Amino acid sequence: MLGAALLVAAVVMTAARYNITAIGPWMPPAVAFLTGTALVWSPLDAASSREGRRPDLIVGLFSREHLSRVMTGLALAGGAMWWFSRWEFTTQPVLRAIVVPPVILLGVGLLLAPWWMRLIRQVGVERMERVREFERAEIAAHLHDSVLQTLTLIRKNAGDADTVARLARAQERDLRSYLYQDRRTEAGSVATALAAAIAQVEDANAVAIDTVSVGDAPTDKCLRAAVAAVKEAASNAARHGLPPISVYAELTPERYDVFVRDSGPGFNPKRVPADRLGIRESIIGRVSRHGGTATVTSKRGTRTEVHLSMPRKVEAVMEA
Amino acid sequence: MANVRVVIVDDHDVIRVGVRQSLGEGIEVVGEGRDVESAIAAIAETKPEVVILDVHLPGGMGGGALDVLDACLKKADAPKFLALSVSDAAEDVVAVVRGGARGYVTKSISGPELTDAVKRVALGDAVFSPRLAGFVLDAFGASAGDIAVVDEDLDKLTAREQEVMRLIARGYSYREVGEKLFISIKTVETHVSAVLRKLQLSSRHELAHWAAQRRIV
Repeated sequence: MLGAALLVAAVVMTAARYNITAIGPWMPPAVAFLTGTALVWSPLDAASSREGRRPDLIVGLFSREHLSRVMTGLALAGGAMWWFSRWEFTTQPVLRAIVVPPVILLGVGLLLAPWWMRLIRQVGVERMERVREFERAEIAAHLHDSVLQTLTLIRKNAGDADTVARLARAQERDLRSYLYQDRRTEAGSVATALAAAIAQVEDANAVAIDTVSVGDAPTDKCLRAAVAAVKEAASNAARHGLPPISVYAELTPERYDVFVRDSGPGFNPKRVPADRLGIRESIIGRVSRHGGTATVTSKRGTRTEVHLSMPRKVEAVMEA
Repeated sequence: MANVRVVIVDDHDVIRVGVRQSLGEGIEVVGEGRDVESAIAAIAETKPEVVILDVHLPGGMGGGALDVLDACLKKADAPKFLALSVSDAAEDVVAVVRGGARGYVTKSISGPELTDAVKRVALGDAVFSPRLAGFVLDAFGASAGDIAVVDEDLDKLTAREQEVMRLIARGYSYREVGEKLFISIKTVETHVSAVLRKLQLSSRHELAHWAAQRRIV
């Protein structure tokens, strides 16, 4: 503050010394206006950076120490503008009428800017708090509906190891997807659709299946068929194969490749009876109807791997 | 081979006991830690070869495993770290591997597999779970067709590295990967270590921003 005053004095003295009169009579009011603006802004700025996160900012403005500064500033700037409005810098009244109002408006705007900015910030802070509160309530509701219910069920079935394991696995998966993944719909994400299908297999057969997905896209008709075939393959692996069972899906712009693999005991695909439709119809048939291929690699005593490969954009090709 | 000396760091007593019991022959647990400070102290005191490190730990600067990695990897005789976590979250996986862990496995891993992983890490190899391999393929844009022409390109995987990662993601063991690709286990290990190095050093834009994209909203 003192520094600014000294600076102004120095400028004025230098001007006087070199006899610069060309700067005209607008200089003192301009300086007064700038000083006034600085005075008005200074406490507001300090206050808003200090209490930026507190919603009751407006109140803090009018503490006594700041009040005098703000009032002095307003008076100085107001006086300068009043002088400007009366200043006859030209003889043409029309020009004055055009120039003066915008300049005054600009000046007032500058003076009021801190209040306005602060109001915006305050609205932002309030909105953020509302959002946070909403999120918290939603999480609490979710935990109540899922985890607490499951815990109650587990306590009731404490003697039944299978039921407890199934409940715990289902709950773990639910919580995991809630915590770690973007919440996407099955239609919007083939990875989510695949995870949901595998989850059903896990629940139905009480096994754990390690699923890894690379790449993602909305689930179109072909991809949906592929997911259904994968579900069948995983279900076969869960019923006939040994754990660990793993599913790996990779989506590239050209194709969707899925590998379902168990840890034995293996079988001879050629010796599956003709009336067993699982592999032939639900996996190979389903995939080939959409232009894809499915191969089953297995031998007695080794791991079985089912590889599904589904080309993408088949529909686009057929339309063209 | 002499026993591999191991320190187990996890904030849950039950998990530490479980991990200790599931470790098989050839591994000796010399210490335990329950938070960042006790982990650093135990590692400094017992000088293990391998530390089995939980990703989420109380104490320290709040960075969990990252704080332990920070404090221990600066020293000359730093142990090797194997991260163990329930979390499948991309940001956790990528963060600890970039923080210096030689491998990442989830807590659903079986006892023999964990034993194998610890021995592998002790020998200086990298350990990738199928899920980590999947993350790597995703992060390096393998599905978008990004292939490195020269090995030195840190921001992409070579075609061979992609093949190895794909097979690991499909649940193949290193031995099975070698058989499938007609290469030795040693070569598979070399490829995996190269991928680990890329994962740790790459400045690939996706890697840096990738974790952030997948955060919980």
